[in-house]
Parts: sequence; structure tokens; C-alpha cells
Amino acid sequence: MTMPILVVDDSTMSRKLLLKALPEDWDVSVTQASGGEAALDVLRQGGVDVMFLDLTMPGVDGFEVLRRKGEEGLDCITIVVSADIQERAVEQALELGAQAFVKKPVEADRIRQALEELGLV
Amino acid sequence: MNAPDSNDPQLLAGLIGQLNVGLFVLDPEFRLRLWNRFMELNSGRSAAEVLGRVIFDLFPEVDEPWLRKKVETVFQIGGYAFTSANQRPYLLRFDHHRPVTGGIDYMRQDCTFLPLQGPDGRIAHVGVSIVDVTDKIISEVQREEALARLGDISIRDGLTGIFNRRQLERSLEAEVSRVRRYGGELSVVMFDIDHFKQINDSYGHRAGDEVIQAVVGYTCGVLRQPDIAGRYGGEEFTLILPETGAQGAMVVSERLRETLERADIHVGGQSLGVTVSVGLSSFRADVADHEALLDEADRALYRAKSDGRNRVVMYRPANP
Amino acid sequence: MNALAYTEDQLDALGELVNIAVGQAGASLARVLDTYVRLSVPQARVVSAAAVSRAVTELTPEGTHDTVVRQAFFSAMRGEAIVLFGRQGGRGIGDLLGYQAFHDAASEEVLLDVSNILVGAVLSGLGEQIGARFGFQAPTVLGRETELSELLEPAAVPWSQALLIEVDFEVESRGFSCHLVLLMPEDAIERMRAVLNRMLAAL
Repeated sequence: MTMPILVVDDSTMSRKLLLKALPEDWDVSVTQASGGEAALDVLRQGGVDVMFLDLTMPGVDGFEVLRRKGEEGLDCITIVVSADIQERAVEQALELGAQAFVKKPVEADRIRQALEELGLV
Repeated sequence: MNAPDSNDPQLLAGLIGQLNVGLFVLDPEFRLRLWNRFMELNSGRSAAEVLGRVIFDLFPEVDEPWLRKKVETVFQIGGYAFTSANQRPYLLRFDHHRPVTGGIDYMRQDCTFLPLQGPDGRIAHVGVSIVDVTDKIISEVQREEALARLGDISIRDGLTGIFNRRQLERSLEAEVSRVRRYGGELSVVMFDIDHFKQINDSYGHRAGDEVIQAVVGYTCGVLRQPDIAGRYGGEEFTLILPETGAQGAMVVSERLRETLERADIHVGGQSLGVTVSVGLSSFRADVADHEALLDEADRALYRAKSDGRNRVVMYRPANP
Repeated sequence: MNALAYTEDQLDALGELVNIAVGQAGASLARVLDTYVRLSVPQARVVSAAAVSRAVTELTPEGTHDTVVRQAFFSAMRGEAIVLFGRQGGRGIGDLLGYQAFHDAASEEVLLDVSNILVGAVLSGLGEQIGARFGFQAPTVLGRETELSELLEPAAVPWSQALLIEVDFEVESRGFSCHLVLLMPEDAIERMRAVLNRMLAAL
């Protein structure tokens, strides 16, 4: 069954790299957002199962998306994909409700591992 | 395995041994793992003596908490680290090689901390290089001193160390424009040594110089913190008294005159009675500029002379 | 208008390269200081010599920055890093770097250490991604802002265009902040363009 996913990153290249790193056998339909505000709009419409979320973005950043998503009760599995790899950043992302944390530059193996742990593939 | 190249262990060992740069290697427990000839010669401790021992036990002068953090950081993040003699004169206390002309206590050192990878790619050791920069630091110090002297020469009088005429006029100009803009008070004093020509003629120019130096010494004792003193020329001096009106300037001038009158100034074992004549003027809005103010004080000084010397005269606009 | 300027795609790719490098630098500093380091979104662009001096002057409104440290780096791409420290300097974090007494020389040493960690980490992060290894000179304290603007005076620099990368690091709990500027003149722009094009082609 096709799984609707949302990829949030201010960098086009970064979104493309992530899409390239997704398992080929994972059947997904992709929506992209280039900022936090746009991501929240997509989430509010519903129908997103998995969100890949960058943390460092101008304007509404990844932490803020997680916070508002929680407040508004928007439901989807969130995998943070971040260049900020400090332990505190990881902890905070998980505290704010992210299910997994993958560091940039993304590696296909790490993405697969995270998806497997979450029972998505 | 390899053709002879720069990685030949014997070549490397020879090079490290002979290099005129200190090299040593620390393991994660801060034990010494390499100690080259530069280190042996300068520390007076042989490699055999130090290898395997903890650096802090061998060299108690080392700042242990600092060096621990520095080296641990290199282990942690695998980057270079540096210290410069400009901030930290030395890592290890070595004698330098300019015992005669140095003027510096110990060898000044620039150090580099190098991450050394083990077979697994992790940082296994930290290498430290020490470059003797004593000569560089000495010449920097000398250059700075020379520059400071040059700066001083252009603003100070060589005999007395107080401002020269040019700097004095510059300062007065600045003070005048300050009071003109922001208000407040300002006085200027000119004084000279009475019968100075006789001192010069009777005791010689050397003696005259000594008298001038003594007068400046006493004068500086009378001045308050913001006051500025300068040698206007010959035996003539100028004081700038910021935030001081006519009354205050009168008090300072009178104190100056009295101090010198009572001062015991010697030349060649002989006590001289030195007195000064003092003229002063205070800033008013109608004073054209700093030169006009100086001119007024000078005219008052002339009056003090003609009235019999050893006295203070204030310039009066109505009755110059 | 500007033959050396990057396309939007190239800028986007560069931004991501830098983002990752800066993330690693932040993590290095955080590990050394054992505290959270807040990172700004890094900016990367090609600028003219005139714009550099303007940009840096804007970054250093009078009185907001105290100490300036510069450090040269070299490899296939040469450049200089300039780190501008806030008024607080290294006062808030000296103890985290093993400094006990805090006289003037020590406070400079703290800033030199921090600069070196950040510059080293950003460039090793950048180098890992583009297959380059950088060498570094020891960092030095530049002194006052006037000196920096003199150094970057358009007429005084031997280049007309440079790759400019900037990012802020902040340790809120310690009142510490600094602004890192990396400048790589002329040929680095083209070398970086080749790297970016390879990355984009591989997408």
C-alpha cells in the first residue's frame, strides 16, 4: 500500500538527497515542503503518515514544527533529519515527539535502519 | 613493501631527532611516548629518563588543568590546537639561548598540538611541537618599545618628560573647543623661572638643565589629576587646568609659587633659591581661540615680571 | 551581472554543505564545552571585495564586538577565517576550557581556542564532503574592529571576489556568542563550483 510521506527541508538538494536515500522497495507518495510553516499546513490537511523533518531552517524551524504539531495534535510519525547533531538537539527532538533521529549527510543504511525500527518497511 | 621514501622509519627517526624543533608525544594517560633531541637538550632530561612517565610528574611547572583540557580536546575532536607565546609565554620552562642580550626570563614557545591517528583511525596519541620564538618575541618587544619612544618623542619634551610646545598647544586647542561646546571652565597658566639667565651664567647649562628638571618635578607635585603641564620653551612653562575657573587657578598658581619659593633646589652641592613668576587667564566666551588665551596668560606673566617677580598675576580683560 | 556568482541550485547545494559542516562544528564545540551550542542558519554566497568590507562592517556595529580572531587555512582552497566575539568574550566559558585565572592573556587564549575548534571543525566537515584536507595556521588576535575594516578595505585586498560563509554560535547559559566568517577568494569560487556541479549531477 502506498504510504504518504512529507519531506521538510529548506534545501532542495537536501530533500532530493533524502528521497534518493529512501529504500527503493518502500512504496511512498511524496509531498515536499521547504519550510516549517508550509509543513504545518500540509500536516493540518491530514493524510501524512511519515514526516522527514530538518531542524535548522529559517523562520519556523524543526523544533517549532514539533512543538506546534504536538500542541495541535497533528498525528504522524516524525523522523528528524538534521545537520545539528549535538546530543542536546537529539534529546530535545525526541522529547518533542520525534520518533527517530538521522544525521546528515543522510546514508541509505541509516534511513532503512530507522524505518525498520519503526516497523515501516 | 615500499620503495625507499620519506616514510622510511630510519629517515623519519633521524629527522625527528635532529630537528631544531621540540617534539614529544603523549598518550591518553599523558605519558610521554616520544621525546626528541631538542627536548633532551633543553630540558636536560634524556628520552630514557622521561618515556613512559606522566608529563605532570616530570614538569611541575606545567599548568595541569589547562593542558589536560587542551590535549583532551585534540583527542576528542581530532583537530589541531595551538598556543602562542603572545598569550602563554611557554609550555615547558626552558632556558633560552640569548643569555647575554635577551632581557627575557625563559624560552618563549609557540606550540602546536597534532592529532595522531592509530591503526583504527581514532586519535591514539597527541603530538606536540615546540618552536623557540624567543628571538621573535624579543624583537617584537624592542619594536614596540621603539615605537612607544617615537610616539613619545613627538609629543614630549626630552629634558623633562612633560609635553612639548606642539602637544601643549594641541591639548589646549582641544580643551578650548571642549568648553566652547559643552560649557564648563578652563584656565591656562604660564610661568617662568626668575633670573634663570644668571643661574645658567654662574653655574653652567648643565646646572640650568638640572634646575629646570627640579622645577618640573615640584610643579608636577602641585598639579591635580586632569591638569596638563608642558614646557613652552627655555625656562618657560605652561599649565592647562581643565574644569578650573579664575579662583581655582589662582589657588593652584599661588601654591606653585609658594612651593618653589620654599623648595630646596641644589646644584653641585649648592642650594639655590629659585622663584617663579606666574601669569594666568581663564576662558571666557569672548576669547577668540586657544592662542588668544595663551597670549593673555603671557601678558599677565609679563606683568608679574615687571611688578617685581615671584608673584602671581591674573589677566584682567578690562585692565590688561 | 556577475560571472563568478553561483546559480540558485549551486547556492542551495553549497548551503547544505555548509549546514552539515557547521552542524559538526557545533557538535565539536558542544562536546568540548559539555553544553548546548545554538547555531544560526548559515549563509553562503559569492561577494565582491567592496561588499565584504560592507558586510563585515554591518556585522560589527560599533561596540558590539570586542575581540576579533583570524586564522588562515589552506589546501586546494585557501582562505581565512575571521571570528568576531561578543562583548562578553570568553569570560563565560573559560572554566569549561580548563582556564582558572582570568587575566587578559587567558581571555585571549580562550577565544583563540574557541576559534580554532570552530574553524577546524567547520573546515574538516566541509573537507570531508568535498574530499579535501585543510591545513591550518595558528589563530591570532586581531585587536580592534578598525583594524579589521582596514584589513578588508577593498583597495587593500588582493582579490575582487570571494566565497563568503557566515554563521553564529551561541552558548546562552554562559552569555557567550560569536560570529564566524570564512572567506575564500577567487580560485576557491571555481573549485567549489566544480564540486557543487558534481554533487548536483549525482542527484
